[in-house]
Amino acid sequence: MKNRLKVLRAERDWTQAQLADALDVSRQTINAIETGKFDPSLPLAFRAARLFGLRIEEIFQDQNSTPL
Amino acid sequence: MNQLKPPEKGYQSRIRTSAQRLYRWHGLWAAATLLMAFGPGYFWHKALVLTLLAVGLDFAMGVGMILATKKFIMEMDELQRKVLLDALAIALGVGLIVGVPWSVLDAYHVIHLHANFGLLVILMGVTFMVSLLYSTWRYR
Repeated sequence: MKNRLKVLRAERDWTQAQLADALDVSRQTINAIETGKFDPSLPLAFRAARLFGLRIEEIFQDQNSTPL
Repeated sequence: MNQLKPPEKGYQSRIRTSAQRLYRWHGLWAAATLLMAFGPGYFWHKALVLTLLAVGLDFAMGVGMILATKKFIMEMDELQRKVLLDALAIALGVGLIVGVPWSVLDAYHVIHLHANFGLLVILMGVTFMVSLLYSTWRYR
């Protein structure tokens, strides 16, 4: 799964640690998601979407799907 | 919107508190196990009542340790939980694929190293730690 977490975080000038605190997860988890090593659960994806004020599909995209 | 508002007590703080609780319970259980193992021989000359009390204490500390472990796992985030679950699964798998053939080979006197539960626990422990360290490094 691809995601724009790193870009969105950089646009807001947040560190991984700050984002991790806001999403209530470890910094390691944020790094693993940003580097594509780990796909977040649906509740965590919803929390990220709520935090950035975007829809889930605007942050996370299935690697094999075409844009809607 | 777009404001970073960490929860009252952040993840790192919660997991640290929970880990400290877990270490305390592990220490208490280890101490109770040592007392149960060496107490009868060194301290109370195999007095049955005291030995049974030591066994009961060890069991109680073990239950406390299990509950603390459960609480610790519940506090973990999803990646940490996955890392732990992977390490546990690998340690259990190694324990099974080594332990069962070992006991069979021992039963048929093919090898001279007796199947020893303690050694198996050590092997599983080492496997668990290696798996945990590898996964932590992989997702760092």
